[in-house]
Amino acid sequence: MSRWQYFVKRLLLTVPVLFAVLTFLFVMLRAGPIDPVAARLGPQAGAADRAQLRERLGLNDPLWEQYVDFITDFITFNFGQSWVVQAERDILDIAINAAPATLWLGFWAILLPLFIGIPLGFYAGLNPNTLGDYTASLGGIIWQALPNFWLCVIALAVLRRTRNGGGPFGFDWYAFGPDFASRNLSITGTPSLEWFSTTDILFLPVPYVSDWTALAIDIKLILPAAIILGSASMAAELRIGRTAMLETVNSNFVETAKAKGLPDRVIVWKHIFRNALIPLLPVITSEAFLLIGGSVIVEQIFNINGLGRIFFQALTQGDLPMAGALLFLFTLIILGLNILQDFLYTVIDPRVGYDQ
Amino acid sequence: MSTRQRDSTDGLEEPDDDKLLRDRVRENPRPAMVWLAGLAFLLLLEIGRVFAGVGQAFGIVGFTVELLAGIPTSVGDNVAGTLGSAAGFVATAITAVLMAFAVTVPVSASVPDAAVDILGLDLSRRGHRWAKRAELTFVVVAAAGLVAYTPVGGAFSALIGAITGGVDALASSLPSITSRELIPNAGHRLPEGGWEGTFLGLSPAAAWAIRTGLVFAYATTVLVWLWRGFDVYRTHYRLADWTPRDDTVRRFRNNYWGLFGFAIVFLFVVMALWAPAVSPVEAQHNIYEPNSHEFQYLDENGEVTSTTHVFANLDSRSDGQNTIGPMSYDDYNRWAPLGTTNRGQDMMTHLSYGARTSLVIGITAIGLGALIAVVLSLLSSYYKGITDIVTVMASDTIQAVPALLLIMLVSVVFQEANHPIAQPLDGGLLLALIFAFAYWPGMWRSIRGPSLQVSEQEWVDAAKSYGQTPLQTMRKHMAPYIAGYILIYGSLLIGGVIISTAALTFLGLGINPPTPEWGRLIDGGQSYVSTSSWHVATIPGIAIVLVVVAFNALGDAIRDAIDPEADVDESEAAATGGGA
Repeated sequence: MSRWQYFVKRLLLTVPVLFAVLTFLFVMLRAGPIDPVAARLGPQAGAADRAQLRERLGLNDPLWEQYVDFITDFITFNFGQSWVVQAERDILDIAINAAPATLWLGFWAILLPLFIGIPLGFYAGLNPNTLGDYTASLGGIIWQALPNFWLCVIALAVLRRTRNGGGPFGFDWYAFGPDFASRNLSITGTPSLEWFSTTDILFLPVPYVSDWTALAIDIKLILPAAIILGSASMAAELRIGRTAMLETVNSNFVETAKAKGLPDRVIVWKHIFRNALIPLLPVITSEAFLLIGGSVIVEQIFNINGLGRIFFQALTQGDLPMAGALLFLFTLIILGLNILQDFLYTVIDPRVGYDQ
Repeated sequence: MSTRQRDSTDGLEEPDDDKLLRDRVRENPRPAMVWLAGLAFLLLLEIGRVFAGVGQAFGIVGFTVELLAGIPTSVGDNVAGTLGSAAGFVATAITAVLMAFAVTVPVSASVPDAAVDILGLDLSRRGHRWAKRAELTFVVVAAAGLVAYTPVGGAFSALIGAITGGVDALASSLPSITSRELIPNAGHRLPEGGWEGTFLGLSPAAAWAIRTGLVFAYATTVLVWLWRGFDVYRTHYRLADWTPRDDTVRRFRNNYWGLFGFAIVFLFVVMALWAPAVSPVEAQHNIYEPNSHEFQYLDENGEVTSTTHVFANLDSRSDGQNTIGPMSYDDYNRWAPLGTTNRGQDMMTHLSYGARTSLVIGITAIGLGALIAVVLSLLSSYYKGITDIVTVMASDTIQAVPALLLIMLVSVVFQEANHPIAQPLDGGLLLALIFAFAYWPGMWRSIRGPSLQVSEQEWVDAAKSYGQTPLQTMRKHMAPYIAGYILIYGSLLIGGVIISTAALTFLGLGINPPTPEWGRLIDGGQSYVSTSSWHVATIPGIAIVLVVVAFNALGDAIRDAIDPEADVDESEAAATGGGA
């Protein structure tokens, strides 16, 4: 099988998976233990109201017809309206409004670990069994075991404490960078993302940063949340980076390069670094899993009105169709990322598909 | 290092390696007897708790059986709702027969062949096997029908009730050395100084420390004795002088990081198992029913008065203004080794019972998930083809949905509907089942490679051509090879389950009060981290970190011990808990 055939096969496999996920959602939301009418109206509602809603939701139709309707609605992104969280508003509309904050959080949560975890891991792998290696490895192990929600709680308490120079060495998170105390801003909240404008270059709108202070404020708002959200991935990158580095350092082509008399700098950058990156690729894409799951917790604690927080609100307030729709959107993102990962693999690693 | 003596009197005779362990013990009974006597003595010391444990096991088995017995009727009811009552009855019957058949498949091999011979049929080997299963199914269905639809059922449940009642009575009447009655620590000060109602008149703190120390000493002794048992077996009764397992054990013993993990996990498990003994106040009094339990204390006026736990808890809250910190007494003469929670309950009691909750959920979830993963990996690697593809599709589907969100959604759906499965442990069992459902694909994926490898081995071919049944081939010749891998992933994942459970409870979606859970403690203490009540959120958080690090260390050590060169992809397993 050539690698492109392999890729196409993987691509085709996602279609039945998508349908299976939709079926699962249908079973959970419509045919599961919960009665959609009772969930919507509450236990005190009158019989007439119930019957009316049953009709409106199409619950009197045969099950297969409900199933077909459900699937067509979801595939055409026609999720209907929210019940409780933002009543009578289109679910897709709500999701599109909440997405930028989550994307901003996710962007930093992927970027920060990349620039901390991988260099640390590579450093540990290049200097195995030294004090630095042990410190980095032990730190990674503990960092990975720290529950995100607990870290959030502790971090917020510590940051709040630094107000008016209460931190060590008079550190004040409020005054650090753009001053939050004088602007009367909370250190938690939703980034407004209003720092860019677009300008027309050759009749094409091109975004540029128009307000650097607003950008700095948004970065500062998201920074603690992003570091915590990325913490698990950072630790994973550290461990895998270390192993990959160790394996590559001990491989034959590095030996050869040494024998040729190449300088260490060239060996490290040209021969080791590039090859050690390959096993890190799935780690970076699988981060999306962690980010999407963790975003619920981090957004809830840091008061960021993103997709995760809306999902959480939908669940706690009994807005099940919205929760189902959001879960479907998350699944779409993950399936898309899986395809992207397969594509990148197919491009980078010519061995793909041969050992399958 | 073996000192085992071969009993071959004749040098020419082959040492008979086919003897069963029972025969070997009969020939040289002394070491085994000494060890068993020691074990019996140890159990006798805690006989009350042993019976309490047996009673709890009965309860769990009873609940499971009831749940399973309810499945056919509930399936029937669902079908009857859409297709009419006749179809419902048929569906009930079909489900019952299918379930009975599933029960018989693994046990039918151990039923004597004579059971089929009485039918007088001339069957092929395969037909013989199926006939035996069908017969067993018939017997099981008949027995179940008898219990369900005839007066025999009444007698049967009366018998069960008598047995469980007897066990419970024994559990409450028999003594144990770590019991609260033997070393009481709940007492009150006397106006003239000193303490009333505590062990030897010591302070509650000292009495509690003695009891907790005794618990850990006892547990350590049991552990040492179990290790000795392995040693006795190895030197006196094992046929081979050396097996690869010896090397595994040796490698594990030399791995200090793994031993550290093991020690913490041991502490955690002991705390969970002996939760009633290490908690300074009874959970029933302090957490579950604080209204209905009174106790005495010395009030400010120097008089001994009595009050209920509700009022005492209200005054002992650690909520920023008022703090009962670690290692202190509250105003009601109650010793709080780890302080109190934001609701005034005792933190140590909460922590130890919370450990119990986490452990039960973790073991149920991972045990069930691992079982599904192993069975499916054996089936899909043995039969390949369509079985494999269906399993791949199922696991891909579950893995495509973000695990934490999937768990949240399913948990909310079942809890909103007040489904009976959400009752035990205030949602704990439900969570465990959902975790098993969400985590088996990961485990299956990680043992898929090894099981495909082993299915290609020559010994599997040989077993097939010798006419062994597929089930036996899988169990005897394939499963042992996979067992090590599943052990590694299990211990790496259990940390993730503990973190996720705590996170869900923190968000209010997991385990509902009053069942103690660590996540709820952190939730309760989150506004007081920078006040004098810092301990409320900090102590459980540190406990979670320690336990999770320990389980990861243990998993790594088991991996290194089983096969130092094993190519185990750790990223997938270890990262699962990170999302929370």
